[in-house]
Amino acid sequence: MAGGQERILRRRIKSVQATRKITKAMELIAASQIARSQARIVANRPYRQGMRRIIREAAAADPRAARKMLSTPEKVETALVVVIVGDRGLSGPYNSSALRAGDRLVHMLSHQGTKVRLVTIGKKAPAFFRFRGIDVEQSFTGFADRPTFADARAVASAVAAPFVAGEAQQVLLVSTRFHSAGNQSVEVEQLLPLSMPEDLEVSATSGLKGYTEFEPEVEQLLTELAPRALESEIFSALLEGAASFHTSQQRAMAAATDNADELGQTLSRIMNRARQDSITTEIMEIVGGAEALRSGK
Amino acid sequence: MASLKVEIVTPEAALWSGEATALMARSSEGQFTILPQHTPTVGDVVPGLVRVATVSGELGFCVHGGYFQVGPGDEPGVTRATVLAGVAERVSEIDVARAQAAKESAEAQLNTGAELDEAARALVLASLARAQLRLQLAAAR
Repeated sequence: MAGGQERILRRRIKSVQATRKITKAMELIAASQIARSQARIVANRPYRQGMRRIIREAAAADPRAARKMLSTPEKVETALVVVIVGDRGLSGPYNSSALRAGDRLVHMLSHQGTKVRLVTIGKKAPAFFRFRGIDVEQSFTGFADRPTFADARAVASAVAAPFVAGEAQQVLLVSTRFHSAGNQSVEVEQLLPLSMPEDLEVSATSGLKGYTEFEPEVEQLLTELAPRALESEIFSALLEGAASFHTSQQRAMAAATDNADELGQTLSRIMNRARQDSITTEIMEIVGGAEALRSGK
Repeated sequence: MASLKVEIVTPEAALWSGEATALMARSSEGQFTILPQHTPTVGDVVPGLVRVATVSGELGFCVHGGYFQVGPGDEPGVTRATVLAGVAERVSEIDVARAQAAKESAEAQLNTGAELDEAARALVLASLARAQLRLQLAAAR
């Protein structure tokens, strides 16, 4: 009977519409989160810039102490890799591209004979790396959507400990940077030793030296400042990661909603045709029956 | 004319920024005051009260440890003083009930005698210190 196909189609349309409702809701929620997370990046900017200014000033005043703190050692035996992804999926390429970049980095380092210790942020990371046989030393979850500064502090202290103890000579960060609403990219940066802006060398010779006063002394100050600067860098990476996540999710869900619309339209066209077909068949049957009765008389 | 631009900044937000006549705080080396034309300085700020004097009155900030930097501003004649703090708030905005609750919960955690590992203990102590500072500054306002 033709009505069977119609019923199946009607059920599929219903399910597509239900899915569309979910993706539309997720799209709207993500869109509202984008504005908020972008505002947080903007609010964080003065702190980050101020912190960088202080470090630069201190490094310029005492390049010897700074070199010890800030330059990369020649031989890196163990590197700590930090990967930032999201807690949730359904966000387009956001998680997978950062994870793949992390995977590549780990392979490249092990290829060079460097031992790798992995720290991840976001629920999506541990499963990915375990599946590939890479041990995750520590994983933080639950705050990738809305990171607080306290979260950044917790990560920073976990990351700094092996570096301070000399167990790792380098700390690398893989995260998604939020350049603008339409432009995000996965980047690998060096967290420790603190990587400084390129203009450090210039400012070191531009007469700033001996000009700025320090209390306490530069060397002590730098030692205390380094963890603060690390927290600041991790916090801004977390904020940018969250903003990128929401942007990516909004885009992915908008595309999913469009697809659901299109699929629903196609299915309802097929269903209408099927319904018309079955009506036509029924009329033909009735007419045929009537004809047969009349000619049988 | 020489002027002073003060910014009190936390990672979450720029708490306050504007024209001021003086900035008063305490570093590990003692109490200090920043006036316009102060020599460039970088230093730390110990937890406590940071006061900003402006033409329309004095503002108090409860700063839970941080750093300050004094340097030339963007325009000639302007001295910029920035206070960077992990946690800070306006003294007028301290939530006494919340600080009291935080203090009690921290004290309870310390007094149960339960074995806290080093990191957890440090967190509780830090939270207790913040709550005590908030209460102390709120009482004096």
